[in-house]
Amino acid sequence: MASTLRPYLTCIRNTLDAAMCLQNFPCQEVERHNKPEVELKSSPELLLNPVLICRNESEKCLIETSINSLRISLKVKQADELENILTKKFLRFLSMRAEAFQVLRRKPVQGYDISFLITNYHCEEMQKHKLIDFIVQFMEDIDKEISELKMSVNTRGRLVATEFLKQFI
Amino acid sequence: MACIERASPALNQILLKLYSAEKPVEIDHHLYEFGSFKYHILCQACEPQVAYLSISTPPLCPGILTSNKLSSYTIELIKRLCPGVVEIAEATREGYQLTLRLNLTKIPRRNDYVKVIKEISTVHSVILSSQLKEILWNFNSDDAIKGMHKPIKLAYNPREPFFVIRQPPRIIAVFPIRFAEKSDVIISTAFFQELVDVGSLDKYTKAPPCSWSAIPPPELRGEAFEDLSTNGGFVSFDISAHHVDGKRLDKTVWNLLNFNAYVRFHVKTTKGFIQRRMRKRLENLVEVLHHTESEQDNEQITRHHGCSCTKGLLVKSSKYNILKQRWGNLGRKLKRIHFRVKIQGFGRFRQRWLRLPKFSSSRGYTKLG
Repeated sequence: MASTLRPYLTCIRNTLDAAMCLQNFPCQEVERHNKPEVELKSSPELLLNPVLICRNESEKCLIETSINSLRISLKVKQADELENILTKKFLRFLSMRAEAFQVLRRKPVQGYDISFLITNYHCEEMQKHKLIDFIVQFMEDIDKEISELKMSVNTRGRLVATEFLKQFI
Repeated sequence: MACIERASPALNQILLKLYSAEKPVEIDHHLYEFGSFKYHILCQACEPQVAYLSISTPPLCPGILTSNKLSSYTIELIKRLCPGVVEIAEATREGYQLTLRLNLTKIPRRNDYVKVIKEISTVHSVILSSQLKEILWNFNSDDAIKGMHKPIKLAYNPREPFFVIRQPPRIIAVFPIRFAEKSDVIISTAFFQELVDVGSLDKYTKAPPCSWSAIPPPELRGEAFEDLSTNGGFVSFDISAHHVDGKRLDKTVWNLLNFNAYVRFHVKTTKGFIQRRMRKRLENLVEVLHHTESEQDNEQITRHHGCSCTKGLLVKSSKYNILKQRWGNLGRKLKRIHFRVKIQGFGRFRQRWLRLPKFSSSRGYTKLG
C-alpha cells in the first residue's frame, strides 16, 4: 500500500503545479463582482478540464481548474466502519473551522470527504509551491491522524475491557 | 462515574453536610437518581441528632417481585449496614418503601465518619443487589424439570432492561445494546470486540466468558419483539458458580447491574477523547500553515536586503500591499456612492473629513528596525 502512496502524491503535486496558474478575472455576468469561476461554472470558456487522480477505488483526488480559481476535492480511504466515522468526524471538524485554513471549503463537494478552494488572491498572498506543499502534507497528515485515532480508540477499548474483567477476578 | 459507584454521591454529600454542620440544620430534600431511585431526607432543628432517610425503588423484576415491599432478606442486609447508626423506622413515610432512622451522634467523630457515611449512602446498591441475588437463588423447580429456563427480564434502568437465564450449572446474562447514534453503535461494537478478545486470554480465564452477536441469542427466543430489536447487538456473560462464591457474588451482581452504564460511559469518554485529539491536531495543522506564511514573509524581507545607501531594510510586505489595495477599493466605493438627497456642502465635508489615511511615508520607504 505504501508503494502506491508516493506516486499518487507526486502525481497530485505535479498536477497542482500545472493547474495553479491563476489570475484575477472579474465576473462576466455581474458588474464589479469577482467570483471563483470554478464554483459558478457559468462560463465554459473559463473552465479547464477536471483531472481525476485515483489511487484505488476508495481514494481519489479531483482537481478542477478555472481561470481564477482551483478546487481540490479529496476522498480519503476508509477501510471499516470505525475509520468511516472517524474520518467523517475529523473532516467535518476541520471544515467547520475552515476560516483557520483560509483555503479550505466549508462543505466538501458531493462524493468527496474534503475540498479546498484556492483563488488568485490566495496565490498572491502565499507562495504557490508552499501552498502545494501544504496540501500534499495535509493529505499525508490526515491519513496518519485517522490511523492513529483508530489505534487509540481500540487501545482505550482494550484497557477499559481489561479493567472491567479484572473486577471479576 | 456516579452511576457505577455504590455510594450515592448526592446522598453522601448531604449526610456529610448534615453531620459536620456546627448549628442545627433543617433539611427536607427529595432526590431522584439513576435507576429511578427516590430518596427523601428529613432533619428537623428540634431533633438535630436524628435524620430520617426514606427510600423508594421500582422492583428490579416486575414480573417476579410483584409486591412493592422489600423482602426479609433485603431488610436483613440493610440492618447489617452500620448497626447502631442505622435503624429501620417502624412507620414508613408515605410513597416510600423504607424509612431509616439515622442516629448521627453514634457516628464516630474521628476520620472514620467519612467511611461510615459512605457506607450509609450505599443503601440503594444493597437493596438492588439483594433483589438480584434472590431472583437468582429462587429457582422455579417446575421449569427445571421440564427443561425450560425462561429468561427473566430485569430493569435496573427502565430503558435498558437485560435478561438473566438460569441454565444449571451456569447463569447467562444477556444485554441487548441500543444507542441513539450510529457512531455510538460503532464505538461500542469495537469495545465489545476488544472485550471478547481480552476475555479469551489465559490471564482472564477466571473472568466470566463473554460473547457478542448481532442477532438475538437462541436463549431469548420467544421474547417480545421490542426487547429484541437493537442496533448494537447482544452481549452475553456466562456466570458460573465460581463467580458467585462468597464475596465475589456482590461484585458480580453489581457489575452486571451496571454493565450498560459502564458501556455508555466508555462511549461518552471516547467521544470526548476523539474531540480533544482533533482540536490538538487542528492546532498543529494550522501552525504549519502559519509557519508557511511567516517563512514567506521572511523570504521577502531578505530578498529586498541590499542597497548600501539605504538605512535599514526596504520592506515591501505582501500583507502591506493587500491592506493598501483594500483601503483603496473601499475609498473608491465610498466616492462612488450616489446619494439621492443632495445636501449642500456635504461634498466638501466628505472630502475634508471622510478621507482615508495614506500609508506612504514622506521618506518613500518604511524603515524596519
